[in-house]
Amino acid sequence: MNAKTNALAQGFIRCHDCGYLVKRVDHPATCPRCDSLLHGRRPHSLQRTTALLFSGFFLYIPANIFPIMNVNQFGVGDPHTIAGGIIELFNSGMIPIGLLVLVASILVPSLKLIGIGLLLLCAHFRWQVNARKWTVMYRVIAFVGRWSMLDIFMISILVDLVNFGAVQIIAGPAATAFAAVVILTMFAAENFDPRLLWDNQQNL
Amino acid sequence: MPHLSTKVMNSTNFDACPECDLLLKPAQPKIGEKAHCPRCGLLLSRPHKQSVERTFALSIAGFILFFPANFLPMVGITVLGNVNTGLLMSGVLALFNDGMVAVAIVVFLASVLFPLVHISLSLLISGHLYFNRPNRNLAMWMRWMLHLDEWVMLEVYLLGIIVACVKLMAIAPLKFGWGLYAFIALIIITTMLTSGLDSGLFWQRIEQLRKKDNHEC
Ligand SMILES: [Zn+2]
Repeated sequence: MNAKTNALAQGFIRCHDCGYLVKRVDHPATCPRCDSLLHGRRPHSLQRTTALLFSGFFLYIPANIFPIMNVNQFGVGDPHTIAGGIIELFNSGMIPIGLLVLVASILVPSLKLIGIGLLLLCAHFRWQVNARKWTVMYRVIAFVGRWSMLDIFMISILVDLVNFGAVQIIAGPAATAFAAVVILTMFAAENFDPRLLWDNQQNL
Repeated sequence: MPHLSTKVMNSTNFDACPECDLLLKPAQPKIGEKAHCPRCGLLLSRPHKQSVERTFALSIAGFILFFPANFLPMVGITVLGNVNTGLLMSGVLALFNDGMVAVAIVVFLASVLFPLVHISLSLLISGHLYFNRPNRNLAMWMRWMLHLDEWVMLEVYLLGIIVACVKLMAIAPLKFGWGLYAFIALIIITTMLTSGLDSGLFWQRIEQLRKKDNHEC
């Protein structure tokens, strides 16, 4: 803890839920305003984020190699992977929608896995960085995560609507893996405490 | 414990930035202005005129819209004379019947249950504040609502509908129902609710109500 301007370094704990500032000397266990447990920093932030990130990373592999949906036409199955669905959109001339799905299902999850990994390294090795830029990166990661659920919602609509006996769309095993990746990385971002980046800066 | 409570009161002369932990004098921007953290740039508060009334009115509208958005057909597709119409719940059930139980549960939570709980909590909290009615669960409701925020994914679902429709348009004619329009209105309202919520003011009001309640007991 080098940053002297930080509230924690000056003896204050900010309630994570309601923002109430409490003096550390009082040793309060819970917030006097909203009763939630008080912690100077998120407990075990780096360990939890790392565990969630690795689980997300390993599930990202099956999410991309297994089919996310099967299009059955007259008894003939046609499995689609995430990438396959995007290529199909491009081939049929739907470039903007193809780009949208490319961003939401491939770019966002993979950049998010890398980004959280970098944040963890930065906090763990106490890199001296421009903490403001890194906090903005954290904010972007935390904001975009949920948009990756786009593919899952789209599949639930397709599975529901395309069900005509001869022609059917069935969700594939990658859907479960992909939904898990999105949720795990959302939890990972939520468990990462960006204030750790600021604690490590010696010039503050 | 008069000694402890005065100490706790003293600490409210300061604030801390939630993302960089800079110790701050509490920012008190005027209505319509924004307060940012000078160090990390985080938006700290943006007070609205009649914040409680606004949240209360939006919650009522959202709560009412929730039902047509869930029970009226959103999109219909016609193939060889057969019509299939989609609801939020029918998508969940279709996944469930395919054996994709985990995915079905995720879709159900993010698009049906969490939005309903979120808007009900918002209605409960703003209603109690509006009528100045103390309730010892207010702080708990407020915490739940803030934690649910990012798991309410209606706007992501709408994007899913758009992509699905673009894919289906190539195959068969589509028909859009009233459910879809109600759904879009619901998204506008929940977005206004979450982005316009003045949580600092709400916590202050909850604290005042609690004190009022303690005096009366
Ligand atoms: Zn800040």
